[in-house]
Amino acid sequence: MRLERGIISSSQLTFLVAGYVQGSVMVVAITNIITKQYTWLVVLSGLAASIPLAMVYIALARKFPGKDLIQINRIVYGPYLGKLVSALYIWFFCSIAGFMLTYVGEIIKYYMMPETPKYAICILFACICAWTVRNGIEVLARTSVIFVMIIIFVILITFFLLLKDMQLTNFLPFFDLSLKDFIQGTHVMLTLPFSEIVVFLMVMPYVNKGVEAKKSVILGLIIGGVSILIDTVRNTAVLGVTSTIMVSPSIESVRLIDLAEIITRLEMLVITLLLIAMFIKVSVMYYGSVLGIARLFNLRSYRPLVLPIGSIIVSLSILSFTYLAQNVGFATGTGPFFTLTFEFSPVITLLIAKIRKLPK
Amino acid sequence: MKNRMGFILEIIICFMLILPISGCWSRHELNSLSFVVGVGLDKAEKPGEIQLTTQVVKPGELKSASAKNKSSGSGGNGTNAYWNIKRTGYVASKIIRDFSHESSHRLYFPHNQVLIIERKLAEEGIQKYIDTFIRDNETRFNVLIVVSEDRANEVLDVSPELEKLPAINIAKLVETQNVTSESPTVRLIDFIRRLMNKTTAPIAPLIRVTSDGNEKTVEVFGTAVFKHDKLVGELNKRETRGLLWVINKVKGGMIDVAVPSGDGTVSLEIMRAKSKMTPVIQDDTILIKLDIKAEGIINSQSGSEDITSPVHVASLEKELSAEIRKEIIAALKTAKDLNSDIFGFGESIYWKYPSEWKKLKMKWDEVFPDIEVALNIDTTLRSTGNISAPAVPAKE
Amino acid sequence: MFRYIHSKLRFWQLANHNGADANHSGNSQSNLFDDLNKNLTALKGVFGNSYDVNMRGFNFGDQGVTRGAIVFLSGMTDTAIINENIIKPLMYDIRLSSKQETSPMNNMSIIQATLLTVGMVQKASTINEVVDGCLSGKTILLMDGSKDALVIGTEGWETRGVDEPKTESVVRGPREGFTENLLTNTTLLRRKIKNPNLTLETMKIGEQTKTTICVAYLKDLVPPQLIKEIQRRLQRIKTDAILESGYIEQFIEDAPFSIFSTVANSEKPDLVAAKILEGRAAIFVDGTPFVLTVPMVFMESFQSAEDYYSRPYFASVVRLLRTLAFFISITSPAIYVALTTFHQELIPTSLLFTMAASEEGVPFPAMAEALIMGTTFEILREAGVRLPRPIGQAVSIVGALVIGEAAVGAGIIGEPMVIVIALTAICSFVVPPQTDSGSILRLILVVLAGAMGGFGIALGLMGAFIHLASLRSFGTPYLSPFAPLSTQDLKDSFIRVPIWAMFARPRTIGWHDPQRQEFRLKPSHPSEEDKS
Repeated sequence: MRLERGIISSSQLTFLVAGYVQGSVMVVAITNIITKQYTWLVVLSGLAASIPLAMVYIALARKFPGKDLIQINRIVYGPYLGKLVSALYIWFFCSIAGFMLTYVGEIIKYYMMPETPKYAICILFACICAWTVRNGIEVLARTSVIFVMIIIFVILITFFLLLKDMQLTNFLPFFDLSLKDFIQGTHVMLTLPFSEIVVFLMVMPYVNKGVEAKKSVILGLIIGGVSILIDTVRNTAVLGVTSTIMVSPSIESVRLIDLAEIITRLEMLVITLLLIAMFIKVSVMYYGSVLGIARLFNLRSYRPLVLPIGSIIVSLSILSFTYLAQNVGFATGTGPFFTLTFEFSPVITLLIAKIRKLPK
Repeated sequence: MKNRMGFILEIIICFMLILPISGCWSRHELNSLSFVVGVGLDKAEKPGEIQLTTQVVKPGELKSASAKNKSSGSGGNGTNAYWNIKRTGYVASKIIRDFSHESSHRLYFPHNQVLIIERKLAEEGIQKYIDTFIRDNETRFNVLIVVSEDRANEVLDVSPELEKLPAINIAKLVETQNVTSESPTVRLIDFIRRLMNKTTAPIAPLIRVTSDGNEKTVEVFGTAVFKHDKLVGELNKRETRGLLWVINKVKGGMIDVAVPSGDGTVSLEIMRAKSKMTPVIQDDTILIKLDIKAEGIINSQSGSEDITSPVHVASLEKELSAEIRKEIIAALKTAKDLNSDIFGFGESIYWKYPSEWKKLKMKWDEVFPDIEVALNIDTTLRSTGNISAPAVPAKE
Repeated sequence: MFRYIHSKLRFWQLANHNGADANHSGNSQSNLFDDLNKNLTALKGVFGNSYDVNMRGFNFGDQGVTRGAIVFLSGMTDTAIINENIIKPLMYDIRLSSKQETSPMNNMSIIQATLLTVGMVQKASTINEVVDGCLSGKTILLMDGSKDALVIGTEGWETRGVDEPKTESVVRGPREGFTENLLTNTTLLRRKIKNPNLTLETMKIGEQTKTTICVAYLKDLVPPQLIKEIQRRLQRIKTDAILESGYIEQFIEDAPFSIFSTVANSEKPDLVAAKILEGRAAIFVDGTPFVLTVPMVFMESFQSAEDYYSRPYFASVVRLLRTLAFFISITSPAIYVALTTFHQELIPTSLLFTMAASEEGVPFPAMAEALIMGTTFEILREAGVRLPRPIGQAVSIVGALVIGEAAVGAGIIGEPMVIVIALTAICSFVVPPQTDSGSILRLILVVLAGAMGGFGIALGLMGAFIHLASLRSFGTPYLSPFAPLSTQDLKDSFIRVPIWAMFARPRTIGWHDPQRQEFRLKPSHPSEEDKS
């Protein structure tokens, strides 16, 4: 039974995945404390490590065509355990949406409107996401096509405008990274931006020609990964060692653009980038959780759930962290393990499905 | 769906209520803000206290203000386009808040051009004073840092000839130094980068107020050398250029060399310079190889000999290289005397030999004075100007 | 209180009363009588005492035995045809006399077949048809002893000549525009598309006005479900009057609550022909020169017919300029308000001081200024349209300049605000179909910017975007070709590739028959052509 009447094409799926991964383009700066000037290396390794995981997700989706994650859980794990696992997944989606929302709220509050309380920003942002989710996956895919183009444009422009401030010596020495830091960095990078595409298992049933999804998802992942890479390279090249102490290196490095006294003070570009990219991310997570609950309770349509789930997500975003450093601490410390459990379990699901030879 | 319209209406009303609640707090009309263009930090009389001076723009006066007001007395703000506010206190951030006791407008820092620190204050260490300028969101990282010989509030009071605001004058002054390359241009981000490095010493341009009779002007005259965050010494203009040769920041300048045959001096203008620093570690001795390439043109000569033949030009190039070498060695000597690594030798060692670096950085203070430098200077004179032989009667 | 409830009850009664009488005009289907006088009396009863109803009785046939009458509305008929082609043959021809043995009822067919030298003659047997025909400018021929009447096409009334459309003037291209006559309009279309597949289906909508609507499309090109959908929506309309195509537009559009229109209109036949050739359908409405075309996509507002008549480089530049102008017209007051109120750090320093200097004595906050000036500008624009032409131009120029200058001099408004509003005003006219939606969007953005600064503008623009992405126009997504992405169609969006490169019809509209021209049509040197 289809909860969503819309269908998206595989090229739209590419853009959706790319925009989703680009949603974390500013959040990955949290690994600067761990990896100092090697963040770009960790981005690459995270991307490389996430491609096999992505293939697992696609294989799982292909094994159960037309069924989303909740249904797959039910088939593989049985009715009771499956419901439990699905409920945990929905909690995961909601909380990640909340974390992203709180990040957006913090950055906008701190950089643009310091006196405004964070919840006002979060609520208004969530309203836009709620409206999009209510309109369905098609609208989300269509908006993400254009937003992704804007994001890529902004990233490239800021990169080129900062070329004169870049110092390649900021990357030296190569490979002075301890293995422990490298693994920790890769772990964060794997779980935080890249493998959160597990939520697309909820979206897969609505993709036209699901068999071609593999190319789209991998391509989207790579596009998103390259965007994050360019952004990270730019930050490290411009800011050097100071990027380790900065809360948001992207904004600070773009603040340094000063050409001919006209092309200056362009941080609005980066904040727009943040808003757009995070919008896609939060909307997709939001959508995943709304669909999940609708499917879990066998509802006919997910539309009445949009506002209640939205208020839950907003409350989560306000309650979770009081200030940004807490968020960063969580994301570098326990966060990756938290997300890894959810991102890794589809592997287990696939194994069990293969063993039990499902679907019959 | 009869109550659908009512529902939508409710939502719209909720939105309209939310909108004024949210950002209106952050709303500052243009005429409720006073734009700070310059900040000065001085030592105050009481120990531990600093005096903070902020220069605030009066936009309405900008169009009508004369550049220099000779008739007004000292500190006369008759038609000046700026206003300097001074306050003392222990912590910079509290002083900034205290300004609200005097100023009817809220101080607004994002357009700050320059941060001036008095020399006496810099000698005590400035990390604790500039932290607010790094941490606060309003102050930006491309503000210029300057150390002044005199008190900062005096510097900020000097009405400039060409600009309307002293702070903008200072900022442009510091940035124009690349014509002579005798003073560095240091932004806050560059300062912080050197500050955060264990071994590299921060630098900042030095300015002072010179008075020529009744007229006062601001002059840039060298570089302040720090060690960690305390000021330990200075480089004069020549030594500064030596430093800039090494860190690859020379963009122009004029060097006088003597003509080998003794017929006057030739002024050579530097057009381009590039430097490369390569560390070599051999059995506990550290050698830094510096390769400097410079390009220049002949700007003027005081003699009447034709110095544009290839032989002459080659000898001029040698003289130029010798001069550059002298400048660099002078800078090296002063840096070693002050024991602060302003060149970034430590960093270059870290880039190439990270494992050795870990041992070296602990005892860098002992290692640094013993570093040997091998200079390899390569100069090329590209052009002789508009004329080749000087404008003198041709020799028969 | 009871009166209030009573009136509400009556309202609900009326609203729920389905199938109310479609015909308010007298007898629905009563037939004509045998007797001429009875017919004439009945018709007089229907028409009342209108002065332009002419009923001329005359005798014709052998020795003037048969009595007949013609009924027509003078002013709507071409009296030359009536005189020459109806009355003259009837009165002068005596052939009728030789067929005396046939019953009187056949005579109408004989008259229709042999005597009337007019192109369009139809038989009618009900009063309704007769009345309808009369009101459309046709002449009714009644004969004593015949239950049928003949409805003869003699339309001829004063119309505006084919002229350059006032709202869409071009530098290069045909200067014909549609007129208020449906037949002229469809003729203009036929002259552009000389294809038998060009189907023109008519229907009458509007109880009182009985306006003729014509749906034009190319039979082999247009997706059949589009036509079915259009017909379904048109047949749904049961209203009193259709006075202009705007009425139809508001009844059939996809998103009545959206500020963006999903139905395009145009006054130029070449534009409508081009749209039909891409697979769209056009709806002509009698009485208005504005022809609707469905489906509409957002990029159409930025395309004009001239783009295709000029060469690609300049056309692309002009397209980009239009998009930029549209964007400026929506966002510049909002950006100005946001920058000066919330984000003063984003303005370059020297510009900021100038702005601060000019805003120094101004009493209003920036948002209030923007709203005041915006409203003033809209009032000036509306006044400029309504004033008679000789006065109108002078007043709008004088108004804008003088009011702006005086306001600045008095210190009510700051100078940058006047510049911003002037720029906005000029830019808002660059994209004519979106002028009205643009001004509403601008207002919303200014309010959002005043409340929340840059964040508000971002939210507003994102919201507008999402709304655009969710619109469909008769099944076609409103934001094609961007979303869903169709690289083929991007050739004609922000830029316009040369005409020899556009060999496919827009995918979402005309995919029925994709290819519209041959490949490899790029003009090239003859020797190169031999190689290919």
